[in-house]
Amino acid sequence: MLKGVHQKLEPQQTPAFFVRGASPFSRMVLFCALSIILMAVDAKLNYLSQVRQAFIGGLHPIERIANIPSEFIRDFRKYFSVHNQLVQENYTLKQQAFEDAIKLQRLNTLKSENTHLRSLLGGDMPIHPRAVLGDISHTGRDPFRNVVVVNRGSQHNIQAGQAVVDAKGVLGQVTRVYPFSSEVTLITDKNLSIPVQVERNQLRAIAFGQSGNTLDIPYLPSNVDIKIGDKLVTSGIDGIYPAGLAVATVTKINQDPKSPFAKIISTPTAQVSHHLQLLILELPELKEVERNPAENEDDEPTNTTTVKEAKPDART
Amino acid sequence: MRAPSLLSVYGTLFLALLFQLFPWSGEGVILRPDFMLVVLIYWLFRAPYLCNIGTAWVAGVLVDLATGSLLGQYALAFTLTAFVALFFQRRLVLFSSFQLLFFTFGLLIFTRLSILVLKLFSGHEPPNMHYFWPVISGVLLLQLMRFFLGPITQSTSNEAN
Repeated sequence: MLKGVHQKLEPQQTPAFFVRGASPFSRMVLFCALSIILMAVDAKLNYLSQVRQAFIGGLHPIERIANIPSEFIRDFRKYFSVHNQLVQENYTLKQQAFEDAIKLQRLNTLKSENTHLRSLLGGDMPIHPRAVLGDISHTGRDPFRNVVVVNRGSQHNIQAGQAVVDAKGVLGQVTRVYPFSSEVTLITDKNLSIPVQVERNQLRAIAFGQSGNTLDIPYLPSNVDIKIGDKLVTSGIDGIYPAGLAVATVTKINQDPKSPFAKIISTPTAQVSHHLQLLILELPELKEVERNPAENEDDEPTNTTTVKEAKPDART
Repeated sequence: MRAPSLLSVYGTLFLALLFQLFPWSGEGVILRPDFMLVVLIYWLFRAPYLCNIGTAWVAGVLVDLATGSLLGQYALAFTLTAFVALFFQRRLVLFSSFQLLFFTFGLLIFTRLSILVLKLFSGHEPPNMHYFWPVISGVLLLQLMRFFLGPITQSTSNEAN
């Protein structure tokens, strides 16, 4: 009779108690070991970048599906945005374009004059990188890193190391490239540093990312000539960021009498959270060391504009 | 109560991955629960014979890949959490609803802390207190799952019989 009672019980009714397989402890040890091996391999060896790229490439369709609702909402809002607002925007943009056109005319003459002077002096030509326009698809999912993901990847000839800018200044650098997207580490990330120059007195330094969306310039003596409000621009000596792009403005200087170094905090000029488009600048080609200036003049035409948007054959 | 099928386990896990990939913005980024983890915990509690530490590890690797972090960090944290969850799984029958809620809260905090430790070891800087908000939204999500997918333990239905 007792046997009969037991037979009536289906295994699904009490499986949690008795159907267990290998003990949880041994499973835990096995999978912990696996994770630690994975971490070591990923941190020290480069085997897994291929796996990651393939996975993110495969994930692309799922990501697109996940993006549909937010894209729909965005389009919906765009459609119903107030007519008045658009007219206003159109007016300001037209005015801006008019002012810029005048500036551009002057720029072209100045540029040709500059190239001429440089060739007279035998100096090297400045870098005029081309650029690709990208949309920010989302800010990174990892709360520990300051990254944004852009919808341009290795299929669009993006390479790791390319500089990324917006209309106001430098945003960061491409650090990982996937087939249809790439990861841009912002200049405020702790792992990114950028060579800068104080616009006022040409003082060179290196700025490091810091938590709280600021930049830190360490290792400058406490009597250094930097004031609050100084503009920091790229110095261009690294060969990645073209010279003269706005990076940050100095907002705070702490002079600790105990420390020989000044603590200089600055806020980035570029605004990541304010818009969806950014420009990915092409890496400068590695120049041969021995090149005569005449050849240089042929390679670098006088009328290239500094930044060109996503036109493959825009370079004349 | 119907016994859960393997399809429902992997179906909900896939949905969780989809939600994890959804581009969150603004307040959503701070409040977004760890979908994968909460779904995992639900199935670990309810059907440990379908969803075990191995499943947790695979889910962790997927989250690692999706977040672009060092491979193995989330996997390790999920494995440890799954172990703790399974360790107490047989006692869940005795837990009241409130105790279960508290236990889930503890588990989610534990995962967040272990990820924090792993991230700090790999050279990231400590985040602010916003980092722990997903624990609360995670507990709420688990309550929702219990409401829609059925209770975790069968104790209530047994009492009814």
